Formats: sequence, structure tokens, C-alpha cells
Amino acid sequence: MATSTYLSNPVVTVNSVDLTDQTSASTLTRVIEALESTSFGKTARVYVGGLENSTLTLTMYNSFAATETYATLAALVGTSTTVTIKPTSAATSATNPISTLTGCYLETLPIVNAALGALDTIDITFTGGVYSVATS
Amino acid sequence: MLRLDNKSAGTDRMIYTIASTKLGIIGDPYVPADGINVAALLSGGFIVEQSTPKPKKPAKTNTETNEEI
Repeated sequence: MATSTYLSNPVVTVNSVDLTDQTSASTLTRVIEALESTSFGKTARVYVGGLENSTLTLTMYNSFAATETYATLAALVGTSTTVTIKPTSAATSATNPISTLTGCYLETLPIVNAALGALDTIDITFTGGVYSVATS
Repeated sequence: MLRLDNKSAGTDRMIYTIASTKLGIIGDPYVPADGINVAALLSGGFIVEQSTPKPKKPAKTNTETNEEI
């Protein structure tokens, strides 16, 4: 039986900035809101698709060094931007598609998440925007 | 009467240059894609802006037209 082994090592850009080396976890979830359309006479709930509301959640190491995490994100809070993610650093292809959220919104940015003896990490979520995927 | 042609006023486009390897090759021109927050890139020091060179002003010629009567 054929199987595919995939070592998670995605490439992440936020507002065009490559933050792969500051990211340790990422989850891109495509969401299309469910609108209930169940009517009398039905025996089960049924839904139709509503607005798209996809999310990209990143776990990142916080860095206040020049052109690193904080410099990238500080001015994006409360604004819209574009984020991309692709499974590996290889060239974009049908087996390594690049996903893009154009016009997604960054609502919150943890500034400091400090614990004694631990690296400062932050979780951020980009919400909304138009999802697209490219294979070339 | 000397008339200054000011057609270029208001048509200057900003061009950006990459200033961080996180964005590309330093010194290369940067053309923001759709949805990119350019202000955030500027404030983070990822790009620098340069205005397009303005056309040289023509040499001033001393043509006195104000004739006082």
C-alpha cells in the first residue's frame, strides 16, 4: 500500500517577510461559515456555505532584533496583510503548493510572553482574507 | 511671460528598495504585491523608499517680462 511520508518544514511569509526561521508551528485552516438552512419537514440539520473566514495560526519565537518577528508584526496589528505558506522550501509545484491569504487581519499581537528559562514564544492568528493556492 | 510646465507634479511614483534579506536580495527593487502592507515594511526597516528622480529643471533664462510703465 502506497504511503507518503511528509516531514513538516513549511515556508512562511508574513507581509512578504520570510519568517520561517522564527516559526515553530503553523496551522492554515480554510473555513467557510455554515449557514443553517434546515426547514420544517427535515429530519436532520442542513447547511449552506456562507462567507469564507479562513485562519492561519503561527507559533513564533519572539525576537526584537532588527527585521525579525517584532519588527515584522508590530505595525500589522489592526491591519490587513497577505500571508503565504507552503509545505516545503522546494520550488512551488503541484506537490508543493503555496497557499495565500490575501487581505487577512491581525487582531492581536502578544508583545512579551516571558517565562524564566524559556524562550519567548507568541501565538498569532490571521483571520479572513481571500484564500488562493498556486502550483507554479 | 515665462510659463512653467508642471505636468509631472503629482505623478511621482515611489520606488522601494529591499533592505533586509528576509525580504529578498538587499538593494534589489521591491514591488509590493497585492495586499502587502507597505507602511509596515517601511517602519520595520525591510524596505527603503526612493522617489523617482525628478526631471531636471530647465536652465533659468533671464527674460524680464515685467515692464513697468
